[in-house]
This record gives sequence, structure tokens and C-alpha cells, in this order.
Amino acid sequence: MKAWLAILAAVVLLPVFVRHAIATEIWIFAIFGLGLNLLMGYTGLLSFGQATFFGSAAYVAGYLLKYYGINLFLALGIGVLVGAVSAAVVGYLCVQRSGLYFIMLTFALNQMFFFTAYQWTTVTGGEDGMPGIPRPTVLGLDIHGPLAYYATVAGLFLVSLWVMKRIVESPLGKILQAIRENEPRAEALGYDVSRMKLVAFVVGGAFSGLAGVLYAMLFGIVPLEAIGFVFSGNVVFATLIGGSGSLYGPVIGSFVFIWLSESVSAMWARWPLLLGVAFVIVVLFFRGGVVEAWARFWAWRAARRAPAGARVDAPR
Amino acid sequence: MKASLLVSQVLNGLATGMLYALMGIGLSIITGVLNIPNFAHGALFALGAYSLYTVIQLVGNFWLALALAPLGVGLLGVLIEYGGIRPLYKAGHDYQLLLTFGLSLIVTEGIIIVWSPVGMSQLPPPVLRGGVDLGITFYPKYRLFVMVAAGLLVLGAWLFLEKTRYGAIMRAGIEDKEMVSLLGIDIHRLFTAAFALGCAMAGIAGALTAPIRGLNPWMGVDMLGIAFVVVALAGLGNLLGSIVAGLLVGVAQSLVALFWPEASVAVIFAVMAAILLVRPQGLFGIR
Repeated sequence: MKAWLAILAAVVLLPVFVRHAIATEIWIFAIFGLGLNLLMGYTGLLSFGQATFFGSAAYVAGYLLKYYGINLFLALGIGVLVGAVSAAVVGYLCVQRSGLYFIMLTFALNQMFFFTAYQWTTVTGGEDGMPGIPRPTVLGLDIHGPLAYYATVAGLFLVSLWVMKRIVESPLGKILQAIRENEPRAEALGYDVSRMKLVAFVVGGAFSGLAGVLYAMLFGIVPLEAIGFVFSGNVVFATLIGGSGSLYGPVIGSFVFIWLSESVSAMWARWPLLLGVAFVIVVLFFRGGVVEAWARFWAWRAARRAPAGARVDAPR
Repeated sequence: MKASLLVSQVLNGLATGMLYALMGIGLSIITGVLNIPNFAHGALFALGAYSLYTVIQLVGNFWLALALAPLGVGLLGVLIEYGGIRPLYKAGHDYQLLLTFGLSLIVTEGIIIVWSPVGMSQLPPPVLRGGVDLGITFYPKYRLFVMVAAGLLVLGAWLFLEKTRYGAIMRAGIEDKEMVSLLGIDIHRLFTAAFALGCAMAGIAGALTAPIRGLNPWMGVDMLGIAFVVVALAGLGNLLGSIVAGLLVGVAQSLVALFWPEASVAVIFAVMAAILLVRPQGLFGIR
């Protein structure tokens, strides 16, 4: 409950303090991160190809918005569908292998989609991206304005977060966590592990797809980077900064990541260098992410305040 | 279609295929021994090419450059393993992987800062310029050289892994790390050596590629994907498999380039997907 109040407060206050476009991007990236975290945090599958679903959905829905003027609900629905279907195709190949092979396959197939988008210039615009994507009117409401669009995205984020909470607390979510903890045991209990992994993949893909469409409508363009592997790496990183162990980790992570990268990218054209350095520092020193650093801080304070002999050990 | 064109495309495919095999074997050693899919492998490939370029600029000797480039990249590999991966032994492979991803960003951006974001070209050494008449077609000397050189390097890697004591330790490390360390072998030194060796192989593959494709900071990106494809098809530590997979991918790519050039990169991944659909364990994979 406390977490929800904090998130509601953040949703309301964010556009007061940061530019609307950045505030909107934060919630879009959070939806993207929620999808990845179902795989990474809950199922223990590190997917390095989430941009495949994000980008595919952005291109397909963007194309239909641009040339056929479809309405918002259809665009969102198509985004979710494209995300889920592309994830089903990629996932079918990837879940057959485990561990390192799984990671390499998600990456390699991401590259396949990237090079397809790169070369199919008549549709995707190749390196120039696919510009001119409109924001359609919804039920007579105009979501052209930055604040109106922000409200739309923030609303969809809250719905996504609620849906993801229901998923991870459902029996399916528990099975996925069982797979993460001990795969042979989950299999021995009678669960079809590869099918469950595929389900997680498809659900994660649907979230990525939703984020992809919202991204395309936010900037009015689908840049080639949206389907590139650096984008896949970024969402893994954002989830990691937040802490992949909890439902809210990717939300915090996307806030930190977008805010950081928007500020440094304005300062220096070579900002991916700083991003790389940040990757290395976080991985070497802050592995549990913000959520764990926060918990450690409070445990440390509690330990300092507690009388001697009643000391609580900090987690880990 | 003219037969000569077909033959020269197949030869092109074999030359690039050998380079793919070299990349794949290097990655396979790292991934097999340390359990990390090295995401910096592509960036180190690019660094090898740029090192070759710079040494040639400074000294003017191609052969010296060809020897120094992989040495430099290998030394960087030692540093990366020692300073970055070693502290993460206990943290789990996901974090080691993210570390290599961060490093790939750093190396790529470093290349842009030190050299330039604009692509450059590198001529082969004078001896290897021009072509040879093969009877059916004229073929550039340098590409033949690459085919032979990469082939010899792969052979060297095979001899090292199969016939030397250290190679046997490395293969044992791929199979069962715990057992190796129980036998009294310093497993950490093995990790450093394997990582450095894999990096050096990426470096020399990059150096050999520079006179064919030229240099740009992102030249490693598609190479990384291809190296993953080779490993996924061949299985970890499988040298013969890596060669077959590398050549298969290289030839498929250059043949598709004849009639549908736009699809020539995507086809690599399509070939992989098709093979994995039929044989999920890869061409020779057991695991």
C-alpha cells in the first residue's frame, strides 16, 4: 500500500519537476522494465533481446498509425499483440536452450530483427528511422498536448504495474519463481518448464510491445536504435540499477536510468562512455541496486540505533 | 550468372567464414571456461583492427602490426579479467555479462574518442596487393592470405588445445571446473589465460579484417552476433564445429549477397534459426 502511494505521488509530482517528455519516457521505460523483470527477476532468464519486441511493435503500430490512421485502442492492442507474437517466435527458439546459450540466442535473434529493420528502408526508413507517427484522438479527447499524453502513459503504466503484480502473485508467478530457484525440481514436480518459460517470454514481450507503441507516439518517430541491442542492454541495466529482486525495482531503475541518461546525453556527445562506466561501477559495487542499497541503509541505521547486544545484521 | 562470379563469391565466403570461425573459437574458449558470454568480444575485434592501423601508421610494418595487435588486445584481456571479472566470481554470471557489456560500450566509445567516428581504410601490405589468376577467376591475393592465415591460426588453436598440457587443462576447465581445481590446478590463472587467449583471437581476427572491410567503430557489432551464432551452432569448446559453423555462415552470407544483398546479414541469423529448429542442440552440441 505504501509503495502504491509513493508511486501515485511520483506520477502526480514528476511532470512538475522534469520535462514532460522525460517524465513520459520514464513510465514507458518502466513498463518495458516490468516485462523484462518477469523474465530476469522472477524466472531467472536473462534476456538480452527485449528490444526485438519493443522495436517490432513500434514499427508495426507506427506504420499503421502513420498510413492507416488507426485509433489509439487499436494501436495499443496491435502493439501488445506484435510484442507477444514476436516474443512467442523468438522465445520458441530460445527456451530450447538454457543458460548461456539462451542469452546468446536472444541477442543473436535481436540482431536479426535489427538488420532486417536496417535494410528494409522502404518501410522502416533504415538508419533515418520512421518519422511522422501521429497521436490519435481517443473518445473525443485530444492527447496531443504533452501533459495529456503524459497522463495517458502514466495511467497505462499504473494498469501495467497492477497487472504485473497480479501475475507475479498468481500461481503462474509462483511456478516461474520455482523455476528460478530450482529448475530440475520444478520439472520433477510436474511443471512443463520450457512451456512456462515461453509463457513468461510472451507476457514479457506483450509489455515490451505496449512500451514500444507508446515510445513511437511519444517522439513521433521510431528510431533504428529502438530495435538495437544497446536498447536491450539498457533495459537490463535499468532493471539492475533498480534491483531485479522486487516488483518495483524496474520502476525505480527506469527513473534513475532515464533521468541520468537524459542529463548526461545533453552534456556530452560521447555519453555512452559514461553509461559504460556506470555499468561497470554498478556491477562491481552496487549489485543489489537501489532497492537493496536502500534496505541496507535502513538496516545499518537500525543497527546503529539498537542497543548493544540487540544488533541486527544487515542483509547479505 | 557467370561461374567465375560464383566461384569468387564462394571463396569470399570461405575467407570471411574462417574469420567467423576464429571469432567463434575465441568466444567459445571464454564462454566455455569462464561461463561468460563475452559481450565485449565485438568491441575487442574492432580494437584489434584499430591497433593494426595505428602500429602501421607508427612503424610502417604490416607484419609487426599483425603480431602486436592481438598481443595488445590479449593484454587488455588480462587486465579486464584481473580487475573486473575476478571480483565477480562469486556474484554470478549475469553480473559478469553486464560488466562485459559495459566494457563494450567503453571500448567502442574509446575508439571514437581516440581515433574518430568516421570510417577509415587500410591497404594490405605491398606483397599482398593485386590478384592471382586462379584459372576460373581473378582473386585478390590478400583474401587468399586471410584464408590461409586464419586457417593456420585455427589449426594452431587446435594443436594447442589437443596436444599441449595447458590446452588439456583448458579443455578440462570447460568440462568440469571443480574437478580441475581439485586436481591442484590454479583455476584463477586458468581463467585469466583463457580470457586473454580468447581476446587475442578476437584481436587478430579484427586485424586481419581491417584491409578487407576497412575500419569503423561499430565494425564489431555484427561480428559479436555472428560469433554468438557460431558458438550456438557449434557448442562450447568444439573447434571442428566452430569451423564448420563459421564456414557455413560465411558461404551462405556471400551467396545470398549475390542475388539479395540487403538480406546478407539477416540471413546468418535465419540460417541459425533454421538449424536450431531442426536440431535445438546445435550442429554438434551435446549440452
